Amino acid sequence: MKTEKKQSKIGRAILWIVLIIVAVIQIFPLVWLIDFSLASSNEMFTSGLLIIPKKIQWGNYIKAFIDGHFLLYLKNSILINSLAVLLVVVISIMAAFACRRMEWKLSGFVKTLLLVGMMIPIHATLLPNYKIYNTIGLTDTIWALLIPYVAFSLPQALFLMTGFIAALPVELEEAAVVDGCGIYRIVFLIITPLLKPSISTVAIMTFLNNWNEFMMASTYLSSPKWKTLPFSVLEFTGQYSSNYAVQFAVMALTAAPAVIVYILLNKHITKGVAMGAVKG
Amino acid sequence: MKKLYSNKLVILSLVLPGILVFIFAILAPICLSVYYGCMDYSGMGKATFNGIDNYKMLLRDAAFGRALLNSLLLAVGFVFIQHPIALIVAAVLDKLQGKAEGFFRCVYFIPNVISVAVIAYLWKFIYNPDFGLINNILKSLGYQEKINWFSPNIAIWSVLIVLIWHGFGWGMLIYYTGIKNIDPVLYEASAIDGANQATTFLKITLPLMKPVIQINVTMAIIAALKQMETVYLLTNGGPGNSTQFAANYLYQQAFKAFRYGYGNAIGIVFIIICLVVTVGLNTIFVEKKEA
Repeated sequence: MKTEKKQSKIGRAILWIVLIIVAVIQIFPLVWLIDFSLASSNEMFTSGLLIIPKKIQWGNYIKAFIDGHFLLYLKNSILINSLAVLLVVVISIMAAFACRRMEWKLSGFVKTLLLVGMMIPIHATLLPNYKIYNTIGLTDTIWALLIPYVAFSLPQALFLMTGFIAALPVELEEAAVVDGCGIYRIVFLIITPLLKPSISTVAIMTFLNNWNEFMMASTYLSSPKWKTLPFSVLEFTGQYSSNYAVQFAVMALTAAPAVIVYILLNKHITKGVAMGAVKG
Repeated sequence: MKKLYSNKLVILSLVLPGILVFIFAILAPICLSVYYGCMDYSGMGKATFNGIDNYKMLLRDAAFGRALLNSLLLAVGFVFIQHPIALIVAAVLDKLQGKAEGFFRCVYFIPNVISVAVIAYLWKFIYNPDFGLINNILKSLGYQEKINWFSPNIAIWSVLIVLIWHGFGWGMLIYYTGIKNIDPVLYEASAIDGANQATTFLKITLPLMKPVIQINVTMAIIAALKQMETVYLLTNGGPGNSTQFAANYLYQQAFKAFRYGYGNAIGIVFIIICLVVTVGLNTIFVEKKEA
């Protein structure tokens, strides 16, 4: 009995060590990033792992904030991503309802067609889309980002929404029809409020997909008007190529909004990702 | 009810936005790619039709082969390095209770919410020969030589490490959710039968996790195939084409080498490969489930 207890104690210790090692590997690069962002460039060439800066260089962050166009790009990111989430949610609910509940011959075909989008690699559309947007004058507009962001988040959203709508009881809708409700009112006033948990899942997945996207943005945009947060980092490396400390600061600053929101909403996001990923 | 639910006009109005987005953002570009894939076209000036010449060229293109090989390497890295660790960590995490569980789960996932732009430049610094973290760690262990982590022979491994590190939290979280869905009664039963933790993991957790593992592995392999952004910023496929990936290569060909037609041909082949692999993996796993 005693040896068994001892064994389980050793076992527990090993488990903890594994967890801590993995946690250190995952988080230490970020600690290092913050540490170096508060030092001056001259202090970096030491042999220690972390620096204790003689004077904390908040100036790095001020430079990063102003020269990285942080506020403008943050505002663009929030606006574009919120609009994308709104569009994805509305379009996917409408399409999911039509494909799952309503009676028409092509419902299966249309649903499959829209889901095929999930398999298409986004980056293969970069070249032709650039040509299309250039020809019809969409480059450098908000649409150049909004359309592909919505298009590539839609299949997964549709997939999740059809699953959720299928699980709702039909009786509710029958009662609504008896009361003289039209389809649009059924979809937006009766079904949509019942889908709250799935809407938040879809919103989280769409946000995670698009918030950090920069390949399309850097292909379709050239002026700063609609550029998103990753551009703070992308543009900075040229501008301050030798001032490493400021580059560290701009990276930490750019990463901050998403990390802070994640830590605050940790539980909801975990649940959302879990639901979205496992079902998707 | 039936009449209301089969009103064609209403149905059309509900699915039309989705279909329009699909046509405009996915179908039309693919058709355009097919068109330009048969053209000798630099991106500017005149395009001349050259049939399947681009595709013939692609068959003999060593860089594209290298890109596919690198995707395969990454997939192997995901499936045989990242996923076993993720699965074990998820199982251990499930045994913890209270604050520690939430804390570790949060820490593991944080790299996933950070932009690839930040991750790529951060790792460029981590690999930096002068002040980089890795060389400093080696120095503190007594190894003095400065290593260039992006030299032709080892660059691909440096890239793989970043990708495996960055995606770890995602894979872990999905396994974790799967394990949480296992009925605790089964664990109690195995504890009563006197099974130790390792046996429980092998005989109960693993078999029940099979569907989750299949989904997760499928997603990882497809992600390996579609990889572009990290590589684009970290090495841009270089040195040579040693860290090339298909998506990055088609982009480079079109916009840097001014072979827009050729880039589109690569795009079409790339799309077909993604479709085949996705459908292939799904059929393999579905058949297994039935067997």
